[in-house]
Amino acid sequence: MYTRKNQRDLTRTEKRRLVDAILKLKRSGRYDDFVVMHREYYVMDTERRPRPAHMTSSFFPWHRQYLLEFEKALQRVDAGVSVPYWDWTRDNRTTSSLWAEDFLGGNGRPGDRRVTTGPFAYAAGNWSVGRGVTDEHYLTRNFGRPGSDPVSLPTANDLARALKDPVYDTAPWNSVCTEGFRNRVEGWGIRGVRTVGLHNRVHQWVGGPMAGAASPEDPVFWLHHSFIDLIWDRWRKAHPKSAYRPGRKPASPGPDRDYVFGLDEAMPPWRVTPRKLLDHSKVYRYA
Amino acid sequence: MSPTPAKPGGTRIPSRRTVLRGAFTAAVVTGTAGALLPLLDRDPAAADGPAPAPGPGSGSGSRATTEEFAEMYRGREIRGTTTVVVPAGAPADDRGAVAAEPVTEIRIDGRPLHVMRRADGTYLSDVRHYESYPTLLETARAAVDELGTARLAPPAAHHM
Repeated sequence: MYTRKNQRDLTRTEKRRLVDAILKLKRSGRYDDFVVMHREYYVMDTERRPRPAHMTSSFFPWHRQYLLEFEKALQRVDAGVSVPYWDWTRDNRTTSSLWAEDFLGGNGRPGDRRVTTGPFAYAAGNWSVGRGVTDEHYLTRNFGRPGSDPVSLPTANDLARALKDPVYDTAPWNSVCTEGFRNRVEGWGIRGVRTVGLHNRVHQWVGGPMAGAASPEDPVFWLHHSFIDLIWDRWRKAHPKSAYRPGRKPASPGPDRDYVFGLDEAMPPWRVTPRKLLDHSKVYRYA
Repeated sequence: MSPTPAKPGGTRIPSRRTVLRGAFTAAVVTGTAGALLPLLDRDPAAADGPAPAPGPGSGSGSRATTEEFAEMYRGREIRGTTTVVVPAGAPADDRGAVAAEPVTEIRIDGRPLHVMRRADGTYLSDVRHYESYPTLLETARAAVDELGTARLAPPAAHHM
C-alpha cells in the first residue's frame, strides 16, 4: 500500500526522487516503451478492432492499469516513489510549483516553444522526444495555446458538472456519447453539444507532445492521468449504486458493442478486466 | 519536395494565400446511375449525424467525394486529398465502415501527417490528437498551429 499525493504537497526530496526515477527509466529505454504502448492502444472509434484506451468505456480502467505499470517500473528504480496527481482545477497557473525548475520545468520559450528549464529541458542532456510525430528532439510546451484558438484549463465547476452524471457510460460507448460520466471526463467535443473538455482539454492546454499522439513524452502526462484516476474514485463515491458499463456482452453484439470492453472483458495488453480494477484500495490510496 | 523554411521566432504569419480551398469534387462513378452524395461538402449544421443518408439512385451507383486543397498557411505548405468511395448497394453496416476509412492524405511541407477519423466523421491528426475537425483543411491548419516551428518526422520514422 502506498500513497499518491497531490503534487503541490510533495517535498523537495520527493520531487527529486521522482524526477530521478523518471530519468533513469528514460535512460533504460523503458520510458519510451510506455510512449509506444499508449500510441498502439489509442484506437479510433471508426476502426474495426478492439478499442481499450480512448473513445471507449474502458478509458478509466485502461489508464488505471497503464499508470500502475508505469508506477511499478518507477518503483523498481526507487521503491519509495509513486505518481502524484495534478489537480488542474486548483493549480491552474503557469507559475505553479509543478512547473518550477526543481520539478517539471516550465512553459516553452517563445518561438520554438522549447522547454528550457528543469530536468526535462533538452540542454540538460537527459530528455529527448520525437518518437514518430515531429523531427525535433527537444520537449516543447505551449501553455494555453495563445493565438487565434486559445485553451483554458477546466474549472472546478466543469469537473463538478461531469461528476453529477450518475450513469458511467452509454451506448454507443464511443467519442460521440453526449451522456455519461466517461465521455464527459474524457472530453470529446461534440458539435452542437459541447466543446473539448476536461481530460482532452488539459492535453490541449499543455501543448507540444501532450497535444499529440505521443502525449506521454511529457512527464506531466502521468500527473494528469493520476488526477483523472482520482476523478473516477470521486465519481464512484458520489454514485455508489452506479455500475461500470457496459456489463455482459450480448450474444450477438452490434458494431457499437463489439470493440469495447465490458466489466468482465480482459483488456490488452495485460489481460486485466475492468472489474479487477474497480477497487485499488489494497494497492494505493490518494491523499 | 523542399520544405518551406519556418519563420524564425515562430511568430504568427498573418498573410496566407489560399491556392485552392475546399474544392469538393465528386469524381468517381461506377455503374449507370451515377448519383453521388458528397460526404464532406455539406452544411456543417447538417453534418452532425454519423453517416449521410443514401442519395437517390443509391441502388446501382456509388457515392464518392474528394476534398482537395493546397495552400500556404503560416509559412507552411499544406496539401490534402481525400477520396471516399462508398458502394451504395452495401448493407448499412458496411457502408459505415467504408465511410469511416476514406483514403486521406495530408502533407505539411511535403511530409505526411497521419490523419484519423472519429465516429461523427470529423478528423484528427497525430499532431493534434485530442480535438477533431470537420474538414481536412481545418485539420491540417490545426496541425500547423500545434507544430509551431517544428517539422513533421520524415515518413520512415512515421510509424515508429
